[in-house]
Amino acid sequence: MLRIENLHLNKEGFSLENISFEVQPNSYFVILGKTGSGKTMLLESIAGIQEVEGQLYWNDEEITTFPPEKRGFGFVYQDFALFPNLSVRKNITYSDRFAKKQDAEQLFEDLIGFLQIEDLLDRSITHLSGGEKQRVAIARAVYARPKLLLLDEPLSAVDPTFKNSIMKSLREMLTRYDTTIIHVTHNFKEAAYLADEIAVVLDGKLLQVGESHKVLNHPNSVEVARFLGFKNILPNAVLGLEREGLFSVDPNAILFSHKEVAGEQCLPCRITEVIGIADHYKVFAEVNEVAFFAKVPKNMFQKLGLREDMACYLCIKEEDVVFV
Amino acid sequence: MRRDRGFVLLFLFLSSFVALFLLVPLMGLFYNVGFSGLAGALSDPEVLQSIWLTIRTAFYAVLIVAVTGIPLAYLIARYEFWGKSMLESLLDIPVMVPHTAAGIALLVAFGSGTIAEWLSALGLELIDSTTGIIAAMMFLSAPFLINGAKEGFRKVDPKLESVARTLGAGPLQTFFSISLPNARNDIINGALMMWSRGLGEFGAVVIIAYHPMVAPVLIYDKFNSYGLTYSAPVAASMILVSVLLFLAVRYVNNRLSA
Repeated sequence: MLRIENLHLNKEGFSLENISFEVQPNSYFVILGKTGSGKTMLLESIAGIQEVEGQLYWNDEEITTFPPEKRGFGFVYQDFALFPNLSVRKNITYSDRFAKKQDAEQLFEDLIGFLQIEDLLDRSITHLSGGEKQRVAIARAVYARPKLLLLDEPLSAVDPTFKNSIMKSLREMLTRYDTTIIHVTHNFKEAAYLADEIAVVLDGKLLQVGESHKVLNHPNSVEVARFLGFKNILPNAVLGLEREGLFSVDPNAILFSHKEVAGEQCLPCRITEVIGIADHYKVFAEVNEVAFFAKVPKNMFQKLGLREDMACYLCIKEEDVVFV
Repeated sequence: MRRDRGFVLLFLFLSSFVALFLLVPLMGLFYNVGFSGLAGALSDPEVLQSIWLTIRTAFYAVLIVAVTGIPLAYLIARYEFWGKSMLESLLDIPVMVPHTAAGIALLVAFGSGTIAEWLSALGLELIDSTTGIIAAMMFLSAPFLINGAKEGFRKVDPKLESVARTLGAGPLQTFFSISLPNARNDIINGALMMWSRGLGEFGAVVIIAYHPMVAPVLIYDKFNSYGLTYSAPVAASMILVSVLLFLAVRYVNNRLSA
């Protein structure tokens, strides 16, 4: 298990501040954040490439001052960082020069089969495609038998048509190669598919960490909610609730009606703007001067006869309300 | 090409001036010396010894700077430290100073006094010795190798080194297995530049070590004592040997890079 306590790093005008979290063995942990929010720096800190303040533990042994070669953590960079002076085969087996491993041949054969790179072995890395480079970089990291595999945006240079099968393979690697994965991405769909646990990092700060579905469905702050794509983040008072705070509702979950609907909270509103998109309408409506945004399917829009300046009801089901 | 004909013709016309200016003296030298003159010079033991001494001393100078200057180039390329830009400027000074001035500076610093005594105790005499020749060549041409290596290391993505470390390589193993091979072309180019500069070094060498005579000093000596007829074949021999050596080194490097 990896445990990070109060990690702090200041470099070139950017800082990671007081970051603490744990990663369970054989789990898939995703660090989610915008580009430039410090995710790669955090991954490099875990790998020992950056020297940091704070404490890092692996299975209760402090590793904060260990150099990268003593940590046994594999690293796959976004641009894969394959060694240009070595062939694909020599890239993969580079770690053989520094440590002998058991069943190395068997592992090599299994990896090249699993990642489908048998035909690339004697090629130079210069003319490989993005997807091929990615698979070679993963094979090189896994071949070193890492205790922890650190993946920095590994799917960003991959053809979208292959993404799903690669994500499936990444998940499978946890058990197949008995490792733990920390995967950095800005794509929350990737995170939703892959992660057991998610940490949201924005501007060098860890804003939320927890089980994947909890983080993705229950953001603990407006920043996290906005980053995760939540819309209609509004004060609770709009719903007539006394407790302070904010709620969010999915634009697809908002229904318009000419009269109140039983079992739903219906608020009198006035439609302020309507924009037609291919198969739906974007409808903006005001409830007591608070703006809502809704997506209404074309057939529903026409059935209700919605138009700008029209007064009607905006209805929300209780289960669609997410408190932030 | 056809569309830009006027532009290309103008540039070809201008380029031909400098190309001819560089080629004509060399071709003229070989034409005047002729095959028999060249063969005569290359069978003269004094000329052969001098050319061999020049090649050898220039090579030793490159070797010493490779061992000490490549680590310096790596430090400059990879790390930020106090006085770094001043150090980089200092390294360029030998390229800018007159070579005779550099020879005088070497003579003042190492020719006499405490440092000269220490060197003497180690069996290293500077005046009229191969050590002196190597020192003069090193002083004036080291920046070519150091700057070449520095540029080479800057082109190597530091992420390659980081990944090598995560795969179990220590800093020295990473340097030899990743940094150095990937900066190789620039280092070899820098070494060739340094070597060629060493082969042609005259100003500083003539002040420190007139004897034993390296080829440039021998050419000068022959010219002063016997005129063009005797110095031209020696000059042509030195140019021929240098060109052949460069072609050989480049060929080997290209084969290794392929």
